[in-house]
Amino acid sequence: MTFFTIVLRSLTRRPVRTGLTLVGISIGIAAVVTLVGMAWGYEKGVANQLDAVGTDVVVSNMSGGLMPKVFNESLKAKVATLPRVVDATSILMQMLSVEDAPIMMISGREWGGFAWQKMSLLEGRMPKNAAEKAVVLGTLAAEVLKKKVGDTVQIEVEELPVVGIVDGHALMENGTIFLSLKVMQEVTGNDGKINFVNIRAIPNTSKAQINQLCRDIHGIFPEGRAMVSTEVVGTSQGFRVIRAISWSTSLLAIIVGVLGVMNTMLMTVFERTHEIGILLAVGWRRRRIVAMVLCESALLGLLGGLVGVGLGVLGLVTLGASPGVRGFIEPDLNPQLMLISIAISVVVGVISGLYPAWRSSRLTPSVALQS
Amino acid sequence: MIYQAIGLQKQFDNGKVAALRGLDLEIRQGEFVAIVGQSGCGKSTLLQMLGALDKPSAGTLKYRGNSIPDLPDPAAYRAQQIGFVFQAFHLLPTFTVLENVQIPMFGGNLSRPQRKAGAAELLESVGLGHRFNHYPSELSGGERQRVAIARGLANKPGVVLADEPTGNLDSESALQIIDLLLDLHRKLGVTLVLVTHDLSIAARASRIIRMKDGRVISDQATPTN
Ligand SMILES: Nc1ncnc2c1ncn2[C@@H]1O[C@H](COP(=O)(O)OP(=O)(O)OP(=O)(O)O)[C@@H](O)[C@H]1O
Ligand SMILES: [Mg+2]
Repeated sequence: MTFFTIVLRSLTRRPVRTGLTLVGISIGIAAVVTLVGMAWGYEKGVANQLDAVGTDVVVSNMSGGLMPKVFNESLKAKVATLPRVVDATSILMQMLSVEDAPIMMISGREWGGFAWQKMSLLEGRMPKNAAEKAVVLGTLAAEVLKKKVGDTVQIEVEELPVVGIVDGHALMENGTIFLSLKVMQEVTGNDGKINFVNIRAIPNTSKAQINQLCRDIHGIFPEGRAMVSTEVVGTSQGFRVIRAISWSTSLLAIIVGVLGVMNTMLMTVFERTHEIGILLAVGWRRRRIVAMVLCESALLGLLGGLVGVGLGVLGLVTLGASPGVRGFIEPDLNPQLMLISIAISVVVGVISGLYPAWRSSRLTPSVALQS
Repeated sequence: MIYQAIGLQKQFDNGKVAALRGLDLEIRQGEFVAIVGQSGCGKSTLLQMLGALDKPSAGTLKYRGNSIPDLPDPAAYRAQQIGFVFQAFHLLPTFTVLENVQIPMFGGNLSRPQRKAGAAELLESVGLGHRFNHYPSELSGGERQRVAIARGLANKPGVVLADEPTGNLDSESALQIIDLLLDLHRKLGVTLVLVTHDLSIAARASRIIRMKDGRVISDQATPTN
C-alpha cells in the first residue's frame, strides 16, 4: 500500500458520487475544448484562405459584425497607386443562408483580379466575363448544397446557374460560392460597394515597409483598417468577439466544474471527519492530510480533464461534420489546446480542494475522533 | 518519570464543562496503570491529554520532562511514542486489516515492502495471521481490537494508552485482549495506561488510580502485582 493507494481508495469508495463529479468537470472541459477548438479552427481557416488567395494585406472596415461593412469601390484604385503595391483586387463577401444551407460564404470577386487566379477548375468552366450571371462552387460548397455543373443556385432572389466546380486549396475557399463582383453587387443590392480590397505587395517587401503601407492606407481610408494577412486573425474585432465568447463561456463551465469538485471534496472531508481523526491519532501530520485531500481533488481534476478532452474532441468532430459548420469551419483538434485543457482541469481540482483540505487540517484530533 | 501532571485542567464549551479540575499524577516508565472512576469523571479526557490529541486548558503536563502541549512535533510524538487503543476500535473501514496496520507507518522512512512485512509480523503476533485481507466489518469485535492493538504497536511505541479496550467486547474476548496487552507490557516493556470500568481487569495492573470529578482521589499499588 502506498500513499496513492489511500488517495485512490477514497475516490473509489463512492463510485457514483465520484462518477457524477467527473461528469461535471468533464462537461466543463469538453465545453472549453469544443468552443475554443471551433474559434481557433475558424481563425486558422481565415488565415489559410488569405494564404491560398495570395493576399499580403487586407483592407476592410471591421468595426462590428463578423463580416465587415461595405464601402465605395473607388477606394481600390486609390490604394493600387500606393508604393510597393503590385496588385489590388476588390471583393464583396457576404455570409448568407442559401437554399438548405443555413450559412454560406459568397464571394463576389472583381473579374480578372488575382483572387480568381489561384483556384483550379475541376469541372465545367469559369464565368465568361464580368457580367455573366453565373457562379462557380468550391468543392465543399458543391457538396453541402448538393449541386453539380448545370444546376442552379438561388442567391437572394436570383437563380444563378452553376457553371463550374473549383478547388480553392483551403477549406474556406472550398466552402465558398464564387461569382463576379458586378453580379454580386447586383444580386445583393450593393451597387458600387465592396467590403474588401486584397493587396499583393512587391515580393520581398520587408515587414517595416508593409507596416508603412498599412499606415498609408489608413491615411486615405481612416474609418477602415489595413491588416497584414498573417495578422488579420489576431487583430480583427470579430475574432476578438468570438474569442471572448468562447473563453468566457469556457470560464463559466470551469467555474461550474470548480463548484462541483469543491462540493464533492467538502462532502468527503465532512463524512470522513472521524477517519481524519484516526489518521491524526496514529500520528499523521496535518501536512500529509492536506496532501491527501489535494491529491484526491487533483486526481478528480485529471480524470475529469481526460474524459472532458475526449468528449470535447467528439464534440468538435460532430460539429465539424454538421451542416451549418461544414465547409466553413474546420475544428482545430489542437494537441496544445488539449494539454492546456487537462492542465486547467488539474488546476481546477487543486483549487477546489484547497478549502476542504484547509478545513480537514484544522480538526482537533480528539474532536474529530468523537464525530 | 515518563508522565508528570500538575494541576492539569481541561474545560470544554468555553469553560462551561470542566472535565479535568487540577489533576496531579505521575507515571513511571514501564508501569501498568489502571484508571478507574465513574462515567464522566474525565478518564478519556486525561488519556487525550497524555496522547496529545488535545491541549490542556491549564496546568503542567510533561512527557519525559518535556511539556506535551508545547511539543514541536505532536504528530511525531503520537506516531513514534504512543500507541492508542480505543473502545470503539477506530479502524478505517475501507482498508483491509493489513492496510490498517500500515497506516501509522507512513511518517517514517520504511519502504513499501518493509511496511507490509512489519504489519504482517504484528498481525501474526496478535494472532491474526490468517485475516490479512479481510475488512474490519468482516471481523468480530475481539479480532478488530487485535487489529487496533497491532496498529497501535506499528511504530514500536514506549507507551500504550488504552481507553476501555474491552468495553465493547464479550467477557471471553475481553480476557483475551487484556492478556494480549499484559503480554506486550511484559515482553516489550511498554508503559501501559488502561482505562476500565471492570475492577477485575484493573486488579491486574500494578497500580490503580481512581478519579472523581476531574481529579485523582486515590492512587494505590495493587498487592498481588
Ligand atoms: N469534546 C467535548 N465537548 C464537551 N464536553 C466534553 C467533551 N469531551 C468530554 N466532555 C465532558 O467532559 C466530561 C469528562 O468526559 P470524559 O469523556 O473524559 O469522561 P470519562 O471518564 O471518559 O467517561 P466514560 O467512562 O463515560 O467514558 C464529561 O462531562 C463530558 O461530557
Ligand atoms: Mg471515556
